[in-house]
Parts: sequence; C-alpha cells; structure tokens
Amino acid sequence: MTAAEGSTAVTTTDASAGAPAAEASASPFTMVTGAPGAMVCEGDVCFVPGAETAQ
Amino acid sequence: MSTPIKIDIWSDIACPWCYIGKRHFEAGVAALGDDAPEIEVEYHSFELAPDTPVDFEGSEIDFLAKHKGMPAERVQQMLQQVTGVAANAGLDYDFDALQHTKTLKAHELLHFAKSEGRQLELAERLFKAYFTEGRHVGRVDELVALAADAGLDADAAREALESGRFADAVQADIAQAGAYGINGVPFFVIDGKYGVSGAQPAEVFGQVLTQVAGERDGAVA
Repeated sequence: MTAAEGSTAVTTTDASAGAPAAEASASPFTMVTGAPGAMVCEGDVCFVPGAETAQ
Repeated sequence: MSTPIKIDIWSDIACPWCYIGKRHFEAGVAALGDDAPEIEVEYHSFELAPDTPVDFEGSEIDFLAKHKGMPAERVQQMLQQVTGVAANAGLDYDFDALQHTKTLKAHELLHFAKSEGRQLELAERLFKAYFTEGRHVGRVDELVALAADAGLDADAAREALESGRFADAVQADIAQAGAYGINGVPFFVIDGKYGVSGAQPAEVFGQVLTQVAGERDGAVA
C-alpha cells in the first residue's frame, strides 16, 4: 500500500487564515487535506515527494 | 438550473501522478452515481521540466539517473512503485517504452483542443500515448496524429502547433499557477474555492464534490 492509498479523511484548511504548510500559505484556496501522502510531482523529479532524491 | 461545479486541473502530460490523479478523480465522481453533481472540467498547463529536450536519447531511467544524478537502482525502484499504483488505478504504465520529452507543444495542443471543445478527449489521449504506448508527445507530427485520434481536425491542429498561437495561453496558465502558489501537480481547484493537491484517493474527490454541492444547496435554500 502506498501513502496515496492511506487515510482519506477530508478536512480543510483555510489557507488565508494561517496555513500550516508553505504550499498552502500562498494559496487563495481552502486546502483539502485528504490523504497526506498523496503523490505530487514537483520539478522534474516527481515520483516520491519528500524523498532524498527530489530536486 | 444550477451551473456546473467547475473543476480546474493543473497538470503536465509527463506527470505520472497526474494521470493517476485523473483516474482517481473520475472514479470519485463515478462512485457518487446518481448523486454526482454536474461538473465542468478544464485542464491548465504546468510544465514540470522546461529544460527537457524535445529529443532525449535514452530511457526514463537514463534521464533520471544521468541527468539528475539519481542512483539507477533507486530510479528503478521508484518507477516500479509508480507502475504498481498506476495498475491499481487501471493504468498500464510502460516506462521502458516511454519517450521522455518536452511537453510545451502538447500543452499548446491542449489549449487548441479547448478552443474546439475537445480538451478532455485530448488530455486522455496524450496521457495514454505517453505513459502506456510509448508515443513521442513532443514532436508536431506525432501530436497531430494524436489530435486526430481525439477527434480534432489534423490540419487545424498542425496550424495551431506550427504557428505557436497558443503559446501565450500556456504561459498564462503557468503564471496563474505561480500566482496561486501551486508548486506541484496535479492540483485541483474545485468550484474556485477548494484546493486539492496530489493524486488523492477517489473518495476524497467524491467527498469534496458532495460538500460543494451541499454548500450550493444550502445557499439556495
């Protein structure tokens, strides 16, 4: 099982009212937390976010 | 009659989690059955690797290992993990066949397709071509063929690509992502209000859509 298939609780974070994450701090949207390990591609390495290989 | 819930999706054709996220989103909507609200989906451009050459000679492993300095074994492990998650989403990823390329022209074609009302068909065609068929989505000739597969006029698609008249629209999308603080993809904006980052499980998308639909009903009542 991957992180993307883990907890699916949906909570929201009002990014405009003190966001907990750097990504959310600049977002005008209310961020849906969802599964915290859901995969995202950033830059040109996009397989395991947060891994030591991400650049 | 209420207006559809707008779903704006920032993604890149070369993003494996974007295709997986697309499937999860679709599954989330489908799981709502008759309760699914009416939605309108629009794809927006996000170029993950602007420095990628159109014609990269080598495999995905070569690209990540040689150009990014990642250990080949680590790359292989990561690709296997992604392939496994994709399979769970019903997608048959083939990284051995994948042709790593720059996706700028593919994004221009997606904007052309939007102007023709066939963006969703083309998005699916491009993802499938890139991740499961080993097609080259950076070359004009190949993109024109894929456009035709998606029901677009081949000559018009070629003109759109060769003229570069949608290049500004691509850059506008990328700039908008930056203004929104979107650093990674896929990124879903639901009804212009909620942000969903990553290839979330299907039920997350279903729950957000249900919530938005409920909020709309509450506003009307």
